[in-house]
Amino acid sequence: METRVGIAGTDAARHQPDAGGKYLTFALGGEEYGLPVLKVREIIKAMDITHVPQVPGHVRGVINLRGRVIPVIDLRLKFGFMAQENTDHTCIIVVDVVHLGMIGVVVDSVSEVLNISGSDIDQAPDFGDHVTTDYILGLAKVKSSVKILLDLDRVLGAEAPVLAESF
Amino acid sequence: MTSRGINGSDREQAERMLDRIQTAVDEGMPFDEVRAALFDLSAAIDRDSDLAPIADRISVLAAALGADSVHEVISMVRALVVSPAGAAEAPPEPPPPDDVAAYAADQELGAMFVAEGLDHLATIESTILQLETAPDDVKLLNDVFRPFHTVKGNAGVLGLMSIQEVAHKLETLLDRVRSGHHAMGPAEVDVVLKGVDLLTLMIRELPARAAGQVGTDVTRRRADLLDVVTSLIENGPSPAVHEPAAAAPAVAASGVSSPKADRRDDNQSTVKVNTRKLDALLDMVGELVIAQSILAEDPVLVRSRDERLNDRLAQLKRITSELQRNAMAMRMVPIRQTFQKMARLVRDMSRQSDKPISLVLSGEDTELDRKVVEHLTDPLMHMIRNCIDHGIELAPDRAAAGKPITAELRLSAFHQAGSIVVVIGDDGAGLNTEKIRTVAIQRGLIAEDAVMSPDAIHQLIFHAGFSTADRVTEISGRGVGMDVVRRNVEALRGRIDIQTAAGRGTTFTIRLPLTLAIVDGLVLRVGAERFVIPTFAVRESLRPSAEQVHALQGRARMVRVREKLIPLLHLGEAFGIPDACPRILEATVVIIEDADRLLALVVDELIGKYEVVIKSLGDAFGNVRGVAGGAILGDGRIGLILDAGGLLALSGAGVDAVGTAA
Repeated sequence: METRVGIAGTDAARHQPDAGGKYLTFALGGEEYGLPVLKVREIIKAMDITHVPQVPGHVRGVINLRGRVIPVIDLRLKFGFMAQENTDHTCIIVVDVVHLGMIGVVVDSVSEVLNISGSDIDQAPDFGDHVTTDYILGLAKVKSSVKILLDLDRVLGAEAPVLAESF
Repeated sequence: MTSRGINGSDREQAERMLDRIQTAVDEGMPFDEVRAALFDLSAAIDRDSDLAPIADRISVLAAALGADSVHEVISMVRALVVSPAGAAEAPPEPPPPDDVAAYAADQELGAMFVAEGLDHLATIESTILQLETAPDDVKLLNDVFRPFHTVKGNAGVLGLMSIQEVAHKLETLLDRVRSGHHAMGPAEVDVVLKGVDLLTLMIRELPARAAGQVGTDVTRRRADLLDVVTSLIENGPSPAVHEPAAAAPAVAASGVSSPKADRRDDNQSTVKVNTRKLDALLDMVGELVIAQSILAEDPVLVRSRDERLNDRLAQLKRITSELQRNAMAMRMVPIRQTFQKMARLVRDMSRQSDKPISLVLSGEDTELDRKVVEHLTDPLMHMIRNCIDHGIELAPDRAAAGKPITAELRLSAFHQAGSIVVVIGDDGAGLNTEKIRTVAIQRGLIAEDAVMSPDAIHQLIFHAGFSTADRVTEISGRGVGMDVVRRNVEALRGRIDIQTAAGRGTTFTIRLPLTLAIVDGLVLRVGAERFVIPTFAVRESLRPSAEQVHALQGRARMVRVREKLIPLLHLGEAFGIPDACPRILEATVVIIEDADRLLALVVDELIGKYEVVIKSLGDAFGNVRGVAGGAILGDGRIGLILDAGGLLALSGAGVDAVGTAA
């Protein structure tokens, strides 16, 4: 299911932070996130998005990716940040999600690709009921900062019922 | 039937059920009832027992049961029941293994042989049916002979000996016909068709067998067929294979006729292309057209007075639009092949039920999106089975009713108002309104004292609960499965209607919108968004004057157009578009129509008429009400394609197009 470049851990459970490998990092509402690079298909500049009615607010609509119609999700809204006007740095990261195919994800800006070793990744702590950590692969300590590594199949996989039965 | 299910320890019970079926068959039970009985047998087997694997095999065999394979299927089921363990692992006498080994030796070449071989066999099948009505046509005969020769040759090259032998035998028979030593009669057609079926089965199962799966045991079928061909060659025309004399007159009278009697263009050669590659090509062509139009509208070029540059741009435009037209045409295939399959079905069923039927085809060249064609075959087969089983009367009854003995079954296709229409009509007895009513009451679909128009009663046959079969695997039979037909048609965004007249016949009309293909659309703007509404759904558009708009509770609700009050749907409000023009008097109203109901859409403006390619919004969105898909517009952005039926449902209103003014 997940594309993890596992190094350590023999009996690693699903959320065990053994997910060392290359991550594309990006900024969102002042926080730093990372995605397994193997999930990323391409990065495109923010473009006009066609609104689709009867879907949740964080589903921005659809775009034309060289002849293919793909849905676009706004991760800011998905994670409960305030909506924000597009800037010069706003990007759409096109990712390949299990069962849903290609999906565009709007982020504030794309940073860099980092090689993160498994030993630098911690499991997300339990914040209780009000913060869902289900879709966090782990927390990566990179120099002085912490990057939140996302399991996109889980973030967006949860969209499947929402999107598919959107009315 | 037992309540706890048959399991391994009482296999005898399954055998007893099978014996009862066998007896009924010998007493002349129609094959569709045999099929139902086999389904019952399969269902009676306890799914948790060691017999479970054969339950599935039985239902597969039952589904494949045809008019002339009853005995074979029963004996195959018997083999399974008597020795389930053996049957599940290896058939009693596996077919010559040389084929599988030869296929496995060069899978790539083998796969090519399978694809080509199946194509050739399909050609043979459709040509031989034409040959039956024109047995002296040398060209048709050659068209049957040649593909057999090719299949034989290719099978020989690959070392598929058992396939080669069958093809060779049939080729020999045809060669004798060609050289005038043998007459082409119903028995010959019959044996060729059986040969095609057998070869199709053998070839189709090659890849699975090579992968280690167990296929159908064809040993006996193969031997029988070879015997029949040999005896035909030696003794001249002889009776048909399994069904003796009685069936012959039906065949003589059953034929395929086509008004134009046109024939496939011989020079038409084709190439097989992976559909994914084709789709990718079409997407790219679409993008090229868009890139070209963006370039042509570039302000720098528009201002340019350079004639040479303008000429070259015009040339580019011509080429891209020609390319697009050609690419679009690649999606479309004629319905001919599907119709040919029906011709075979009609022939077989006509013989089996002893009802002489003439099949009249028209519009075989009507082109449909290949995806529509793929999904149309099953519903059509269902309906034709139903027509022959229930619609068309037996010959004596027809004679008594003063009708021609040979029934007529019409199958036609044509384009109409942006839809593809497929019509299946028979001149049989028509639907039995009283019987349908009775069944519907029995099944609790309607109350005993319900007052319904005959049309409304006829519609009940499409109701899921009306079906007498409780399994989805049921192919057709006793007036069942029409709900499946309707579901299949609706999945293609189509509609099915019935017209019937007692004693004069029944006509089913399937209307399929071009939602899977290209559509002529009117592009509308609402706020910053643009939408496409297929032009066939548009009645008219207007700028309403104040006295045309009627308000209810302070809000504009209806527009009056020529004495008809039509409900308004403000698209901006319905779809939550923030900057839509709120004032109806400054807006444009587009009257749309679906299934004879009207709705007035309030939009900001009309942009123009374009031909667009419909694209699905993808699995991620499922079904968005009022939206049929997306179209890539001239500037590369997506405009949503509106679905008139969905919008009517969304508005909860709409007014009948016919009928008097409110």
